[in-house]
Amino acid sequence: MQKHTISAIICLAGALVAAAIAGASFLAMRKPDLIVRGPGVTDVKMLSDWFPGLKGTPGDTEVYILKGADDGASMLVLGGTHPNEPAGHIAAIMLIENAQPKSGTLYVIPRANASGFTANDPQEGAPQSFTIQTPNGPRVFRYGSRATNPIHQWPDPNVYIHASSGQTLSGSETRNLNRGYPGRPDGTLTERVCYGIVQLIKKENVTITVDLHEASPEYPVINAIVAHPKAMQLASDMVLGLEMQDIKISLEPSPVNLRGLTHRELGDFTDTLPVLMETANASQGRLRGRTDEALVLTGKDKWYVRAEKLGRLYVPYDEKGHPLEERVGRHVTAISELMNSWNLEHPEKPLEFEGLPGYEDFLTKGIGVFLLPLPAKN
Amino acid sequence: MSQEFLLFILMVGVFAAGCFALKWPVSVSMLLAAVAGALAGGVQNPIRHLVEGTFGYVDTILTIATAMMFMTGFRDSGALEALTAAVIRKFNKLPGLLMILLTFVIMVPGMITGSSTASVLTAGAVVAPMFASMGMSALDSGALISIAAILGMIAPPVNIPAMIIGGGIDMPYVGFEIPLILLTFPLAIAFAFWFGWRNVRKVDRSKVVESLDFSALNQYGAWRLFSPLILIFVLMILDKTVPRVFGLGMPLIFLLGTALTWVTGKRFEILKSAKKAIEDVLPVLGILVGVGMFIQIMTATGVRGFIVVNALSVPPALLYVMIAVSIPLFGAISAFGSSSVLGVPFMLALLGKDQIIAAASLSLIAALGDFMPPTALAAIFAARVVGLEKYGGVLKKLVVPGLIIAVYGILFILFSKQIRALY
Amino acid sequence: MFYIYLAILAIVLALTVWVLFDTKKLSLQVTAAMVIVPLLLRLLMIK
Repeated sequence: MQKHTISAIICLAGALVAAAIAGASFLAMRKPDLIVRGPGVTDVKMLSDWFPGLKGTPGDTEVYILKGADDGASMLVLGGTHPNEPAGHIAAIMLIENAQPKSGTLYVIPRANASGFTANDPQEGAPQSFTIQTPNGPRVFRYGSRATNPIHQWPDPNVYIHASSGQTLSGSETRNLNRGYPGRPDGTLTERVCYGIVQLIKKENVTITVDLHEASPEYPVINAIVAHPKAMQLASDMVLGLEMQDIKISLEPSPVNLRGLTHRELGDFTDTLPVLMETANASQGRLRGRTDEALVLTGKDKWYVRAEKLGRLYVPYDEKGHPLEERVGRHVTAISELMNSWNLEHPEKPLEFEGLPGYEDFLTKGIGVFLLPLPAKN
Repeated sequence: MSQEFLLFILMVGVFAAGCFALKWPVSVSMLLAAVAGALAGGVQNPIRHLVEGTFGYVDTILTIATAMMFMTGFRDSGALEALTAAVIRKFNKLPGLLMILLTFVIMVPGMITGSSTASVLTAGAVVAPMFASMGMSALDSGALISIAAILGMIAPPVNIPAMIIGGGIDMPYVGFEIPLILLTFPLAIAFAFWFGWRNVRKVDRSKVVESLDFSALNQYGAWRLFSPLILIFVLMILDKTVPRVFGLGMPLIFLLGTALTWVTGKRFEILKSAKKAIEDVLPVLGILVGVGMFIQIMTATGVRGFIVVNALSVPPALLYVMIAVSIPLFGAISAFGSSSVLGVPFMLALLGKDQIIAAASLSLIAALGDFMPPTALAAIFAARVVGLEKYGGVLKKLVVPGLIIAVYGILFILFSKQIRALY
Repeated sequence: MFYIYLAILAIVLALTVWVLFDTKKLSLQVTAAMVIVPLLLRLLMIK
């Protein structure tokens, strides 16, 4: 055999070994994290039950239903629209595992972009998962990609054109769930998921929709609630309620010219009252330092502390960081306050849930105590 | 001294040692620098991170590889030479006009696709022999092609850096046409004269036409011979105007064009031609893969944050200097990457300015990243299409134009409100 | 379109492997090996 053939075989073998090791690690991401059915969960359906076009696709995702004994209003909570914003995902899981309905119905989609949970964004150096300690042992949760996995939707066009408005964005936004609403039944996978969520809202006549997000600390819309004009009253009542608990949150109107987002399109295309909430997540920011599980869990980051001193941030940032407890606590408490605000104005059609931990509970006890034990393995 | 700073020094040091002392290819040096950074930085599961970083460029690799296959096929079919001959015969008497015209021709694929590589490897490769027969040196023509390519990438309708910067602050890509035209067209005309005029006037043009080879043109006819190029342009325009029907994407368009070159001119072995194309372009693809690994490790270890926060740390008066220096420098690894990592934070620091003009100007400055080694995509490919082995000479020619472009972009940011008032 | 692009990717991958075995330059072989990794993992729809 010639010398260059031997070296070619060696090079190819090296490539195959690297591909095998990395490939095994990528494939492990396909296994979803486990969510336990809490005492309030009355049914678990799939999004394809509302839009069969999603059946068998990687975009199909669980919808947890918590239906109270008494009739009332309904609320849809979207977690994991962006799977690299963990507070939204975990807050949704908190509702599933803790909330106990009295009146009205709660729909929770903890993995709104299920495909996004199966991969990480290249060149972001993100961890594949993070672990929360609980009294019953550790629980592992996925840290995914902001957008749909390219394995499920590829290639991206040069330019993404939002279907109903014609707005153009960078091509990679084609896979961003929160740019695809109201979606299309025959569109991309991402658009079909949007369409499925819209069908759920329409068919179940969902009163309020909450889309849970996180933002990088240098981003102006942070620790904020963004509301569609018709949800403005509800949101401003909620802001007052949070301020009574010393939780600072800013209220932003949904921009008219920014299309494809929940807080704009769900309000324009359905009867629901849509709001979107943001907390401060260093692990998705551009200024962050070492990127690992610890950063996801604690938000402690020296470069963000320095950027805060330079006046570059839109949230206070010190050595204590912004731990996941605080971020999840903000989301869960805000949801409780939204329900309170609704009930004050609409006592005839209440939305009442018990068992939700409060903000102080999260800060003092952590998240782990509110996570249920996993079922024993057979 | 922070740990991130030490890691940065280590990674850059390993890269420089590999590239310059040991004379390894850039791709391999990048790989080793990333490996060193991953090990010293204690990155968990380093192989997964190294491989994951490369996926940022899979689409770019396909575009570049297919574009190169198309160009090689177009040349092997005899069409490239024939096209030069035809254009020079027609415009020989009007060199000044031709210069400007050709500069805009180079820009067109970049304007439509948002990729400077597409510009250089399609229109740039077509125009390069015309520049040569008009008397331009390979270095001048390589420089002008690279400049036209990055201006094309920034000129409307498609400007991906501006979309990335806008996306980072939730600003839709609307109303960018006029600022982008003001930013790019005057520069294009100025540089066409700068590089073209003095060369073109020196040549005795009566002899130029005699030296051209018209045999392929006479044998196959212009329409048949040039049809692959026409197909590519038509498909690119359809891809932009009716994307729902003709949204084929660049790689597929190039592949269709390549297939057509096989039947429209001189016979050649298409598989060997395609393999030659990949062989020629492989070092560049390797650089992209190496850079992907490098960025992923920089991000995971916190070196990226160290760079971004330090770039933002300068006093306000120096902010503009920092923009002009750091965005192109970081663009050494990728102009698009730089738009996201530095462009967005700087955009946030410029919220007092007219947003659209500021973002448009930042995108122009970010495009300079395509001149910055080691990736220097615009310069590498421009050197290649004008027939130079090394691109160092072209880079030297780009230093002053690069500074002019950066200053022009900064002036637009400084006077953004006044410029906005003009239209 | 997805499968058309996988086919394009397969062509580029096959040509890269051909270059790997055809060239006599070790540096080009190493580079080819680097490029093969992401192309292969995408072709197998792993990443």
